[in-house]
Amino acid sequence: MTNPSADTAIVKLEDVHLSFGQTQVLKGIDLTINKGDAVSIIGPSGSGKSTILRCINALVQPQSGRITVDGTRVDQLTKESERIALRKRVGIVFQQYNLFPHLTVLDNIVLAPTRILGVDRREAEKLARELLEKVRLSEKADAYPGQLSGGQQQRVAIARALAMKPELVLFDEVTSALDPETVGEVLWVIRDLIRDGMTSILVTHEMRFAEEISDTVVFTENGRIVDHGSPEQIFHNSDNPRIRQFVGGLSGGRGAVRDGEGI
Amino acid sequence: MTTATLSQPTSHRVLRNIGFLALPLIVIVWSLADPTLGREVLEWIPYLASGFMMNIVIAVLAMLLGTLVGALFGILQLVPYRLVRLPVVAYVQLFRNAPHLVLIFATTYIFPFEIVVFGHYLPFPDWIKAVIGLAIPASAYVAEITRGAILSIPTTQWEAAKGLGFSRGQALRWIILPQCLRRSLPPWMNVAASITMGTALASLVGVHELLHAATDASTAVRRLDFTIIAYLVVMAAFFLLCYPISRLTRRLEARFNAA
Amino acid sequence: MQDMSLTDLFVSLTNRIGLNYEFLATGYEAQIWRDGFITTLYLIALLIPVSLIAGLLFAACLTSGKIWLSAPVRGFIELTRNTPTLVQLMFSFLVLNTVVSNMLGGAQNNPLSPFFWVVAVVGLHIAALHAEAIRAGIEAVPASTVEAARGIGFSQLQILRYVEVPLAFRSSLPAIVNNLINLVKLTTVGNAIAVSEITYASIMVWTQRDNVVSLMIVILLFFSAINIIVARIGLWVERRLAVPGYGL
Repeated sequence: MTNPSADTAIVKLEDVHLSFGQTQVLKGIDLTINKGDAVSIIGPSGSGKSTILRCINALVQPQSGRITVDGTRVDQLTKESERIALRKRVGIVFQQYNLFPHLTVLDNIVLAPTRILGVDRREAEKLARELLEKVRLSEKADAYPGQLSGGQQQRVAIARALAMKPELVLFDEVTSALDPETVGEVLWVIRDLIRDGMTSILVTHEMRFAEEISDTVVFTENGRIVDHGSPEQIFHNSDNPRIRQFVGGLSGGRGAVRDGEGI
Repeated sequence: MTTATLSQPTSHRVLRNIGFLALPLIVIVWSLADPTLGREVLEWIPYLASGFMMNIVIAVLAMLLGTLVGALFGILQLVPYRLVRLPVVAYVQLFRNAPHLVLIFATTYIFPFEIVVFGHYLPFPDWIKAVIGLAIPASAYVAEITRGAILSIPTTQWEAAKGLGFSRGQALRWIILPQCLRRSLPPWMNVAASITMGTALASLVGVHELLHAATDASTAVRRLDFTIIAYLVVMAAFFLLCYPISRLTRRLEARFNAA
Repeated sequence: MQDMSLTDLFVSLTNRIGLNYEFLATGYEAQIWRDGFITTLYLIALLIPVSLIAGLLFAACLTSGKIWLSAPVRGFIELTRNTPTLVQLMFSFLVLNTVVSNMLGGAQNNPLSPFFWVVAVVGLHIAALHAEAIRAGIEAVPASTVEAARGIGFSQLQILRYVEVPLAFRSSLPAIVNNLINLVKLTTVGNAIAVSEITYASIMVWTQRDNVVSLMIVILLFFSAINIIVARIGLWVERRLAVPGYGL
């Protein structure tokens, strides 16, 4: 799904180091992501994948290195108001969905546009209903998160992120907490989104899905990027033994989606 | 973010210790700074201390009586006989919702000033009436705590006990009550602190306790600064007694919640 | 007239079972007693919103992360929780009130009444308990939910307003209702500084009539009734705010 005309970097990480207390989590990350690209970050647990996403959204601050998102130097943001301005442009979807349990599905989606962007309530609701249709949950608009399955909640979370009309969406292991039978419906929605040209960065364990939808696959281990390249390169032609071992051990797993499965 | 949350506990601990000793420190420093005031304070301290002993005696006896009656009533609230259960439930509901002061008034003004036991006239002093006045709400709270604790034990525990051949009484004694005791300790301590502070209400029916003693002292000395310091002593005494109890309660609560 | 005869009927009926409500037939004492009930109800009606608003402010200070805001509030909370409310009231009335009077050049210029001091002391005491409950509720909001709100672009204040407080209020509601029941009971401390609430009015009656038991029964039923109503309203609010699939 590469779009050659928009081949400009929207996200750029240069030599990013980050540690929590004594633990070094990121040990020099360099990564460039172009507009319209879908990038998958794979690798063993604890290799710092999720932390990379949190850096891009300014939820954590690296100790050193440069992070640029669409012209904004994220690592230099000092005020919370500047970070908020960034987060309006960068959507994030979490592993645990983290919907607001006291609000209906519709209100979960409408809250941020009306309260943060100052969008008119009626307009926000119209957009929310369109998004619910897109994630195939129109009939659940008035349900509460506690009444939905994990896969449904995660699709609402995606709609909630999209309601801010972000330039870029980060997906943080969005299917890891789901029952196997609901994984497909969430991946289906994400694939649709990528086909529409949304710049996406995914941290994922769904190898076949990553292979199918990514323009670039990044393999991380121990806080470093070991290799990156096209899905073909990483999954089938890597000469790095660690990657071959990792991919080989997981590729038989779940994750392939056929159109319409699980919806 | 991370550094802020890491540095808070130490500064909080320092503040907490300063706060704990703030009231007595103010009293001491002020007394030293103004020797005429200090002399008055020194002179009245024994009188105030005797008052505070009364608070402690009333609180201990009221909790003792309240706990015995309350634990029994808590169990009676769960017996399958309506004739036993309903009066107990009514007692608990009525006195749990009643202000302590009202109950102290009730016992003070309803009970006679002396009672006849086998032809002997025994005095019935006001402080014992205050003990009963506070034991009544204490028993109602303890009954609720006991009932809640018994109900909170999962039925599987009863079943497991039954499966091992325990009778209902044996299961209660050896399996259920030990678990209840643990669960009900923090709320019981809250009641104890509340009853301890309630002893100050006895001053309103003329019992010679700390607040009453402080009022006596300040009317005798007739100095505004002495009045202030006398009431600060009262607050410091209650605070030094109740604050450690409430800290311990919170620590126990946190530990039991984590378990 | 109908009313009068009903009163007489009540007095004679209760007299037969040994209770003495004769004062109800007199104008003056009955008036004092009725005013006592009204004063207590007025105190409660005033104190509930006062304590809730102050409690919310205290909770905001406690969770602000700014030590110059949280430390004084924490200090006040510990002081008010661990000393008898009656002592606080006496201290406020005998010391603070005197200081205010002296500053204004005499007690005749002091606009602060005993009624004011009861509202201030009891209101702030209960507010401190509310604040503790709300703070615990805010801390119980999962960190991941807060992170999600931050990730979307909410400011700290917006997270508090739209996510933490609505969730915290729900989880702390049982504790808040419990505090309100304490509030109802605490209004009786006004007795100590001659606020003519129900216990004070009752003393006026029973010193004349020697009918403590009769009055006590009514007072106990009165407080029981009010507290059952408070608890019921609390339960109703809890049910109204209950979110399907969340919490209990």
